[in-house]
Amino acid sequence: MNPTELERRALSAVSAAATSDELERARVEYLGRKSELKLALRQVRDRETGMTLNALRERLERAIAEREAELERAELDRRLAEERVDVTMPGEPVPRGHLHLITQIRREVEDIFLGLGYTVVDGREVETTHYNFDALNFPPGHPSRSPLMTLFLDEETVLRTETSPSQIRTMEAQEPPVYMVSLGRVYRRDTPDATHTPIFHQVEGLAVDEGITLGDLLGTLDYLLKALFGEDRSTDFRIHHFPFTEPSVEAYVSCHLCDGSGCTVCRHSGWIEVGGSGMVDPNLFDVVGYDKERYTGFAFGWGLERIAVLRHGIPDLRELWRNDPRLLEQF
Amino acid sequence: MRAPLSWLREYVTVDASTEELARRLSVSALEVDRIIDVGVADIDGNLDRFLVGRVLEVVPHPNADRLRVCQVDVGEGDARQIVCGAWNFDAGATVAVALPGALLPTLDVPLDERELRGRLSRGMILAEDEVGLGPDHAGIMLLPDTLEPGTPLVDVLPIREQVLDVTPTINRVDLLSMVGLAREVAALLDGELHPPEPEDPEVVDREPVEVVVEDPEGCPRYIGRVFRDVSVGPSPQWLRSRLHLAGMRSISNVVDVTNYVMLVYGSPLHAFDRSKLSGGRIVVRRARPGEALRTLDGVLRELDPRDLLITDGEQPVALAAIMGGEESEVGTETTEVLLEAANFEPLGILRSSERHALRTEGSNRWEKGVDPHLAEPAAVLASRLIVDLSGARLTGHVDVHSGLPERPVVRFRPTRASRLIGMEVAEAEQRALLTRFGFDVSPEWEVTVPTWRARDVTREVDVIEEVARAVLDRVPHTMPLRRHVRGRLTKEQRLRRVVEDVLVGAGLSEAYTWSLVASDPRPDAIRLPDPMSADQAVLRTTIVPGLVAAARTALDVGADAVRLFEIARVYLPSGERLPEERWRVAGVVRGGYATVKGVLETLYGALHLELRVERGEHPLLHPGKAAVTAAGWLGELHPTLLEGTWGAFELDLADLFAAVPERVVYEDVLTYPAVRQDIAVVVDEEVEVGALVDAAREAGGTLVREARVFDVYRGEQVGTGQKSVAIHLAFQSPERTLTDEEAAELRERIVAALAERFGARLRS
Repeated sequence: MNPTELERRALSAVSAAATSDELERARVEYLGRKSELKLALRQVRDRETGMTLNALRERLERAIAEREAELERAELDRRLAEERVDVTMPGEPVPRGHLHLITQIRREVEDIFLGLGYTVVDGREVETTHYNFDALNFPPGHPSRSPLMTLFLDEETVLRTETSPSQIRTMEAQEPPVYMVSLGRVYRRDTPDATHTPIFHQVEGLAVDEGITLGDLLGTLDYLLKALFGEDRSTDFRIHHFPFTEPSVEAYVSCHLCDGSGCTVCRHSGWIEVGGSGMVDPNLFDVVGYDKERYTGFAFGWGLERIAVLRHGIPDLRELWRNDPRLLEQF
Repeated sequence: MRAPLSWLREYVTVDASTEELARRLSVSALEVDRIIDVGVADIDGNLDRFLVGRVLEVVPHPNADRLRVCQVDVGEGDARQIVCGAWNFDAGATVAVALPGALLPTLDVPLDERELRGRLSRGMILAEDEVGLGPDHAGIMLLPDTLEPGTPLVDVLPIREQVLDVTPTINRVDLLSMVGLAREVAALLDGELHPPEPEDPEVVDREPVEVVVEDPEGCPRYIGRVFRDVSVGPSPQWLRSRLHLAGMRSISNVVDVTNYVMLVYGSPLHAFDRSKLSGGRIVVRRARPGEALRTLDGVLRELDPRDLLITDGEQPVALAAIMGGEESEVGTETTEVLLEAANFEPLGILRSSERHALRTEGSNRWEKGVDPHLAEPAAVLASRLIVDLSGARLTGHVDVHSGLPERPVVRFRPTRASRLIGMEVAEAEQRALLTRFGFDVSPEWEVTVPTWRARDVTREVDVIEEVARAVLDRVPHTMPLRRHVRGRLTKEQRLRRVVEDVLVGAGLSEAYTWSLVASDPRPDAIRLPDPMSADQAVLRTTIVPGLVAAARTALDVGADAVRLFEIARVYLPSGERLPEERWRVAGVVRGGYATVKGVLETLYGALHLELRVERGEHPLLHPGKAAVTAAGWLGELHPTLLEGTWGAFELDLADLFAAVPERVVYEDVLTYPAVRQDIAVVVDEEVEVGALVDAAREAGGTLVREARVFDVYRGEQVGTGQKSVAIHLAFQSPERTLTDEEAAELRERIVAALAERFGARLRS
């Protein structure tokens, strides 16, 4: 037997095997019990021949194992190639619910202010006229005090018309500094239409501390507006009048549709009114017993639905209460 | 209020475009809703084609009965021939003419020269509606004969006009006037103010004017003036045009004067036909029971004893400050006029206006508190105009008041203003601003408030506002220092978010439903005494009915796998003034009891709570498939409420969260393996599987890590009235590996306990 010749034939048979069957046949032929090599090994008498033949056996075994792995891999590749799916077929549905758009905005606003170090306060919805009007410095003839605008339970009890009573209750409950937002339902005697619903949501903000300035109010609202409507928006602030703030300021953001050049959404002004704010009227500090010389503060109260309308283009506020799944699932 | 710019600029000289002016006003004074362009377009020399003309000759059109042919001098030397259909003028009239090529706001194409029934017409004699100066098309505009032909019409009439549509806030009634707006413009844009300074006509043939104010609180001032030889007729074109541009209708010269002067000063006036006042006197008093008045709008109004009236001593002649009476209205036959320039207390007027559901230009101002000092200049200007326009003589004057209010004096610290604003505003600038707004500032910063701001500005902070608004768009944007803050949610707020997220993850969508409902299961639920509608009359004590309605909406639009939840308040009668407001979470899901229970098991699991239920009852639930928990209830919705099978739940969040652990403490379930065993026991049908599990846990003690029912079998093999319950048990110790013997013993103990308490027998 010529080991070199044997090795050449064996390796050539192994590499020529195209299936695992052919490979097995080659293994039996060259490494099987009756193979030339095995017979030769059995007859080995001298150490040197034994080492040569064993080395040859090991080389052949390795070559067969390698070829086997190659064939298996090729087999797997062939099978996988046949297992193609239409990747554009839909997946198996996993049920998913949706947070209401107003909840999403509520959380967003809460998170913005949590990030600024404010707490979130849960106010109450049924309020006394003391908290809803008197303590907030509403003058006796103010339109909001009329049963034409406000839902009364009795002469001294109302469904809160704004989230502002939470200002008084918060200040009564703690000493300054106060940094809080309070979000929730408010009630007005508004006939439902595309832009009014008798129940809607507001966010109230209140900061009372030493040295709070009008600039702090504008800076905070500028931050809020850009967080809600985009960093590229411009903001604008204009004087207004509310009973519980002095001075009072109305906040505007540049129109997201026309970018300030004028369209029907912004009534060709380039600006969209977002909500009211101002420096806390010192009369409120008198009510809650804060030192009005030492402390100043700002407050704001904005409608969450208004943010939804401006940011998401909701055309009719009543739809936010109809719970049509086709709408709920959009957000 | 609508403020025509040409009128405003008559009172204030300022170097600013309309847009700049609107911008400054809107930042620092009042809302500018829009700028309205009115009249003739100012393009390609269009305004030059509108001229004053004098009619030299008028002859009938030979070929048309309704037309006339005019020769009109428009300052060109030769007269122009213009064919005209109006008949309210003759030769010598001074008129407004549009030349060929002119663009009129009412026409789509330029005016051209053309023949009308065979006669060339080289222009048009204008009626007021053709250039946006009024509604009238009955005749052409007649101009003062003092005007030279060829004068540009735009110099004479506001044919090219911009009008500011403005809405002052409730505290700035002073801005519901042209003078007030002009003052604001002058102050904010450093303009020069020229308010009207009318010369009061002399009183001739003086006669007494009797005015008695029985209610000086309701009417702190009453100026009455009498005019004789009044000739009531149409107003001159300038007056008609100004009223029209300001959004008011021209009625007659005398009535127009009262409206015009109201727009000038913001202090409304009224003119009575004095001959209709029996006794010719004025008595101001509250209404008497049973009195009635037919107001100018033709409505007969029953008066309330709280209504303030102007009477003639016998009959009411006006609902004070709101609307005059029809009987004493000034008409064409009127020759004697009593002019009222008064002042009224705001709140009473507001209440009367609400009671009678009657809002007028007058009440809109009075209810906000008009400066009583304004009555006098208003009376003077109105007198001047009545005399000038109606040829009347002023024959009497009286001014009834018991002293006008003092101007408030406020101690003001400019440093405090700068501190509150957050920007250093130089003292000189503060002083200049306040002075321009009409405040008198002493060297020691004692600030005396102008009469027209006396109601609004009474404290230092109110004066600070005056400075702040003027510099508002220069204020730097800063953030509060926030030395002491704690920005985090409370436990309950955090857990509410967990509940929302878990339910959303479980496939439920959040609905928002009304807190006000038509009816509520609780008979003592709080009912609104005067609801907006029967649908929103009761403050709800449960949320589920709202969700049932929402589910129905979803079904109606074709959704099938409907799963809804809501987190909201309910309002429980408390016996106190205010109800107890509780947060609840409620859900309505398609599917039966097991579906809704599965949802709640997921929720409880997420909160590290075990859901334990007992059989219960609830009016909204199927009586056999209702359960209660410590925090609320769950079950299958009563089949009468919604077609199909539905689960529902409602939990009180405070009760639910009370049991949520502050923190979860590590328990060693890793070191030693659990031994798992399943048993099946046969029990009577009535035995609740929950009771079996509880008993198993009790019997097995702390080593029972898990005891869970995983199958219930009913059938021949177990016999009628019985069921086989398969329970999965896992035993585990945190301290050692349990031996097979220990596990077998635990199992024995459990089987024995179930046998003893429920007659359970082990099923092989």
